[in-house]
Amino acid sequence: MTHILLLDDEANILTALRRLLRDEGWQVDTFTDAESAIDALQSTAYSVIVSDYKMPVMDGVTFLQFARQRQPDAIRLMLSGHGDRQSMINAINRAEIYRFLSKPWEEYEIQAAIRSAVDLYQVTLENRQLLDQVKRQNDLLRQREEELLRLEHDNPGITRVRRDQDGSIVINDVL
Amino acid sequence: MADTPSNMPEDLPPQELSARLQQANRQLHQSEKMAAIGQLAAGVAHEINNPVGYVYSNLQTLEHYLSDLFRLTDAVERADSLEDLHQIRKSIDYEFLRGDLEDLLAESREGIERVKTIIAAMKDFTHTEEEEFRYADLHRGIETTLNVVNNELKYRAQVVRDFGDLPEIRCIISQLNQVIMNLLVNAAHAIENTGTITIRTRHEGDHVTLEFEDTGKGIDPADLSRIFDPFFTTKPVGKGTGLGLSLSFNIIEKHHGQITAASTPGQGTLFRIRLPIEQPGAVSDE
Repeated sequence: MTHILLLDDEANILTALRRLLRDEGWQVDTFTDAESAIDALQSTAYSVIVSDYKMPVMDGVTFLQFARQRQPDAIRLMLSGHGDRQSMINAINRAEIYRFLSKPWEEYEIQAAIRSAVDLYQVTLENRQLLDQVKRQNDLLRQREEELLRLEHDNPGITRVRRDQDGSIVINDVL
Repeated sequence: MADTPSNMPEDLPPQELSARLQQANRQLHQSEKMAAIGQLAAGVAHEINNPVGYVYSNLQTLEHYLSDLFRLTDAVERADSLEDLHQIRKSIDYEFLRGDLEDLLAESREGIERVKTIIAAMKDFTHTEEEEFRYADLHRGIETTLNVVNNELKYRAQVVRDFGDLPEIRCIISQLNQVIMNLLVNAAHAIENTGTITIRTRHEGDHVTLEFEDTGKGIDPADLSRIFDPFFTTKPVGKGTGLGLSLSFNIIEKHHGQITAASTPGQGTLFRIRLPIEQPGAVSDE
């Protein structure tokens, strides 16, 4: 199940976003304060985290920085009515966000951005799994090689035993 | 240096000089007002972008909901059986749509109401056409101004209203609004993390008093005597014009009132404004 976290101090923003994401089949969790969103980060692994920029108590950049520490794999997006340069710079440099979305938004912008964030998350995850698999298989290979080397060291020639078609050991008497 | 313009003030008769001074003063006042409004505009844009954001988004959703509903109503004509209609009704998740449509409309209406309030407050606040003394309700002026500066305040301070019973006073309310705005914005800027701004209003005989008290960082005693001087500011370059309080002082003086400040560094600042209910010399007809 793909989990999405949305944080904005304005509840109506959250319901409007939830409506846009209704048909995607994702589990969408919405929060109006950063504290409860942080609590949710302890218990649920999110694919995508979207936060408002300007909020009371904790701003969006601080929240996303925190989210990045907690769930570094989750893709972070920022949604803001503040199009000023400094807030964008902070969001990119400090929270390392994937997209900066502005209010008001177009339906397709939100859907496309979150969809591609979900894709990115899945590709990253898949990549990591494949990498793990390659590593595991490499380890296995190395172990086998080492075992062969050890056997050869203890019993020279043992790794070069030849068998014929019936599986019988061919002993070469020419030494 | 030698090429002194022919119309240097020294050459002018006193009446002309004083007229010019008055004009310069008006221009200064106007430019401070514009600067203040410009500063606010960015904040107000954010205030408006939130409701506009979700109302706009909801309209796009509404379009989809309607096209779903039309699929159903159009099918009434064409459907072969009731079963088909039930099928469509089920496929569009009719129950959800119905419930959510109501919420969607209620929320969107709320959003538009908010935009309306902000615009009305901006208009109320500026009252550019009004330059005459009229009876006005100071509480309404305070509420209007709070609406305009809400964006500056809401992330920093809790506003406590300790309002007494105030009579309407004879004043130029747009100018007093500007004083109130200066004091509120200054109070918000003085608060470093979060704090409280208390607005107190009282009626005493033929005067009213307004107090604006914040729990901010306070004003250095050395600076306190200079805060009403033109161009005095402790804000970084570009952040403050240094004119806000000096013009506030002028406005209160013009209203035959007094504005004073008391401050304890580290604890906060209290601005007190005393205003007469009637202006001396004004005929109280209307």
